[in-house]
Amino acid sequence: MLRISDLKVDRAGLPVIREADLVVEPGRISVLLGANGAGKTTLLEGISGIAPVTGGRIKLGTEAIETNRPTERARKGLAHVEQGRTVFRTLTTEENLRVVGNGVDFARSYALFPELEKRRQVRAGLLSGGEQQMLVIARALLARPKVIMIDEMSAGLAPIIVGRLMNAVRALADSGLSILLVEQFAALALEIGDRAYVLRKGQIVYDGACRPLIENPDLLHRLYLGGGAHA
Amino acid sequence: MNSLLTNAVAGLTAGGAYALLGVCATFTFRLVAVVNFAGAAIGASGAFAFALLVEVGTPIWGGAIAGLLFGALVGVLVGEIMTRWFAEASTSIKAAVSTALLVGVTAVGLRVTGGQRPHEFPELLSGSAFRLLGVEVTNTAIAMLGLAMLFTLLIGLFLNRSHVGLQLRALSERPAAAELIGIPVHQLSLWVWAIGGAATTLALMLIAPQRAPNFLGLSLLVVPALASALIGFFRSFWATLLGGVVIGEMESLISGFSGLGAYRTAVPFLVIIAVLLWSQRGGRWDDAR
Amino acid sequence: MTRDSMRSATLNVAITIGLGGLAILILPNYWIYLATGAMIGAVGLLSLGVVEGRAGMISLCQLSFAGVGAWTVGYLNVAEAPGGLPIWILIGGLAAVPFGIAIGLPALRLRGINLAIVTLGFAGAFDAVLAAITYPGQAEFLQVLRPDVFDGDRGYFLFVVIVFAVISGVLELVGGSRLGSCWLAIRHSERAVAAHGVGIPYAKLRAFALSAFVSGVSGGLLAGYLGMLVSDNFTMFGSMVLYAVATMVGAQYPEGAVVGGLLGALFPELLRRLDVPQDLGNLLFAIGAVQALAARETISESLRRAFCRVVRSKTRQLRRLDASALPPRIDYGNAPALAVRGLTVRYGSVIALNSVDIDVPAGAVVGLIGPNGAGKSTLIDAVSGYVLRYEGQIETKNRPLEGVLPHRRASLGIRRTWQTNRIAPDLTVSAYLRLAAGNITNDEIDAVLAWIGLPDPDTKVSGIDAGARRLLDVAGAVAARPAVVLLDEPAAGQSFDEAARLAERISEIPDLFGSAVLLVEHDMDLVRAACSAVTVLDFGEVIASGPTREVLDLPIVKTAYLGVVETEAA
Repeated sequence: MLRISDLKVDRAGLPVIREADLVVEPGRISVLLGANGAGKTTLLEGISGIAPVTGGRIKLGTEAIETNRPTERARKGLAHVEQGRTVFRTLTTEENLRVVGNGVDFARSYALFPELEKRRQVRAGLLSGGEQQMLVIARALLARPKVIMIDEMSAGLAPIIVGRLMNAVRALADSGLSILLVEQFAALALEIGDRAYVLRKGQIVYDGACRPLIENPDLLHRLYLGGGAHA
Repeated sequence: MNSLLTNAVAGLTAGGAYALLGVCATFTFRLVAVVNFAGAAIGASGAFAFALLVEVGTPIWGGAIAGLLFGALVGVLVGEIMTRWFAEASTSIKAAVSTALLVGVTAVGLRVTGGQRPHEFPELLSGSAFRLLGVEVTNTAIAMLGLAMLFTLLIGLFLNRSHVGLQLRALSERPAAAELIGIPVHQLSLWVWAIGGAATTLALMLIAPQRAPNFLGLSLLVVPALASALIGFFRSFWATLLGGVVIGEMESLISGFSGLGAYRTAVPFLVIIAVLLWSQRGGRWDDAR
Repeated sequence: MTRDSMRSATLNVAITIGLGGLAILILPNYWIYLATGAMIGAVGLLSLGVVEGRAGMISLCQLSFAGVGAWTVGYLNVAEAPGGLPIWILIGGLAAVPFGIAIGLPALRLRGINLAIVTLGFAGAFDAVLAAITYPGQAEFLQVLRPDVFDGDRGYFLFVVIVFAVISGVLELVGGSRLGSCWLAIRHSERAVAAHGVGIPYAKLRAFALSAFVSGVSGGLLAGYLGMLVSDNFTMFGSMVLYAVATMVGAQYPEGAVVGGLLGALFPELLRRLDVPQDLGNLLFAIGAVQALAARETISESLRRAFCRVVRSKTRQLRRLDASALPPRIDYGNAPALAVRGLTVRYGSVIALNSVDIDVPAGAVVGLIGPNGAGKSTLIDAVSGYVLRYEGQIETKNRPLEGVLPHRRASLGIRRTWQTNRIAPDLTVSAYLRLAAGNITNDEIDAVLAWIGLPDPDTKVSGIDAGARRLLDVAGAVAARPAVVLLDEPAAGQSFDEAARLAERISEIPDLFGSAVLLVEHDMDLVRAACSAVTVLDFGEVIASGPTREVLDLPIVKTAYLGVVETEAA
């Protein structure tokens, strides 16, 4: 559903991503891992069009989208949930949803995240971290994307909430959505993922199944942090 | 006492106009993050389109509507320059651009309207509404104040109740996130410019008959407009409204004192200084940079 | 002040006077008269070049300052004050200075945009005042007297040219000084300038004072030129047009000011001869200004770029490092370079840092690591003074820093680098180092550049890539030889090889310069190579601290970084 090849992305004039290849199959979850500063966020920004792509291709379905503006990529079915839970803080929960889906029934959003329904009239800035995360995901889903990319979903959240979110993501994939999940905290993401990538210093250093990484934490550690000390 | 009241009533017209202009400045800043020095010049374009159309025989209300549309169009043109080339620029750069545009629009305006040659500005509203303690309260004064309040009210309703308003609020809070969820950022911004252009046009059409109506004079009403917006910290519409009325009243009352009248255009400056020194007493430097 | 700027200042003066002399020889009287107006305009533009072109502040009341100068000259003329026109003009310039300072005073605390509104308001108020008072001597038809030597159109032209040449020469010298670099840097990032130990308000105020003086002089020149003035010569709209012209041409460059002056004076003349309405000139200035803002390049800068392409193509090779040429090491003794005790920072209800302790002993390189959002940048901000609301103590060399502002902390021995690039692109590499390090010789600059691996001190920062700018940021902080340098992710965006080289440089800092280092970095290879000890932050708390190797092997650290709960996996 999403296929990127030889992608190069700059950030503030620095080449951050050097030739990345990555695939998200329909209805599957690809997990993109990597330490801080590995370039995960920049890669997503390149795919969604916020950061300048200096080379390579991005295909959504069968269509090349690397020259489109971010709004166009969004309309064609690519959703990008940024890190930092970018709710519109001064708007209420329901207003946040209405920005995207005017006149739409939010039953599906509330079915996915019942927590949000109780907080419909609350300003999004006052929601808890977990609720804000649910809100931005629900908001992105209202545009009916084909692919959704979620950046650092679990950062700063309590384990029980993270588990809750991971289950929701798995359910979304099972209903046919293609997902690219970017995480620094590997364990839970690997549990629900179908395919894993590890990014280190702007390069993909692992591309394969999730299982080997779960079974061999030392391998993951080495891929993340480099150095041979822990082999 | 009576002359004081006469001046106070006269100040309402100016105050209402400043308030409306100020609310437009706040509107533009809040939604598209531009401190618009060219705001009054845009409105002057529309107001003069109205005057010139009426001079060649267009019916007055038809001319007024055409003037409003023309003001909106000039607003959109300015907005297009801003969004196309300066979307990512800092507030200072955008302010510099709007200053340059003020010079450009005014140059064209002076040329088209024949420089300082005075124009007959038809009064949309004339006559007196009622007498208060023997002082005539004009229709224009009432209308001006009413319009300013109505516009402020409508803007609030528009932003809080309509879908476009909702999208605009989202856009102004997080432009990048708004773009990512597919909000048509560019189009919406142009709407803001169009509305601002039409509203300033309206304000200037009404106040022009009371002023020396040349293009430059109307363009420079941006000074009291920005001073009023500053009173609302470019944030609160109602405080801006109040600020505009207060500045208009102060100017008008000062003209009542012989010897001080010539200095009334100094009022906005004093207000600006006072507001800034008070509001920024804790700040140190530009936190954003 | 550098030899370079002395040379270019002298060159400026010589060229201007030379060209002016040539003009006197070949131009007919009428054109000389026009050219005099152009050069007076050029002086006015130079004044905007200081506040706008260099320091990046919007000033829309330049002609009001000129009005003060002009009126002062008028009074002195009527009073038949001694000294004649040159002295009166000087006094006129000085008379404008208090106004400049008064307008600049709110600028000490104001953001750029509010400042623009203040100047606009002042211009409006001044319009009213000038309109109410007639020019001194107007009733008696008393013209401002010119000195005998400079009487006549040609004589007065020569006088104006000399004044322009002197002012542009002096401004060139100021521009090349640390104050000038500071203005360019303020325009780009005020926080970064404070981090060099420079007080922002002073620098801004001096820009305004100098600008008002120059503008006042231009008003005085105009008084001598026209003999009699009216308030229309100094309107608010005129100030705006002047601003547009300055934005278009780049008034901080002498050639820009001259081009702008010529356009201002000759354009209407040209349009008049073509039978085109003269006021359309303003439209062209507006378009030119918008174009320059969009292209981020003024006419002068385009000219200079084209000129440089023709004239200079040699690039300097990286020199071999001569460690003895580096700025001398400063011995800070054994007192701890940095001691942080119980540091707590709250943003609203969020606790960004919770009772954090960190020690950086003299001569040590200490790493600070942790996942995104752990509070590393907040810690750097708190130590360097950008977050002043915190609980706990921060000390350098046993001196407590509570309540001390960033630029004072910088001069007390705490320097930092930035995650995002904050180096002003208009500075040259050497001017940046001079701004950052204060007293430093040309040879020392060369040595520091050779040490960090940057080639050419004369290139503009805009001409080097982002990775090199990070190195320059580090070089500046280190060259200042503070007690402690805080490096915020210096290796971001560097390749494997570059990062390895940088690790070596960082570990040399204490020996070569005497400074201790607190290094925030994600690149664990670099941390291993450079740091003797590390502290790990997670959720604003210290979860581990100690010798690098031991700490990086702790399970709790792995968990923080990877989210791998190893006890569960086992």
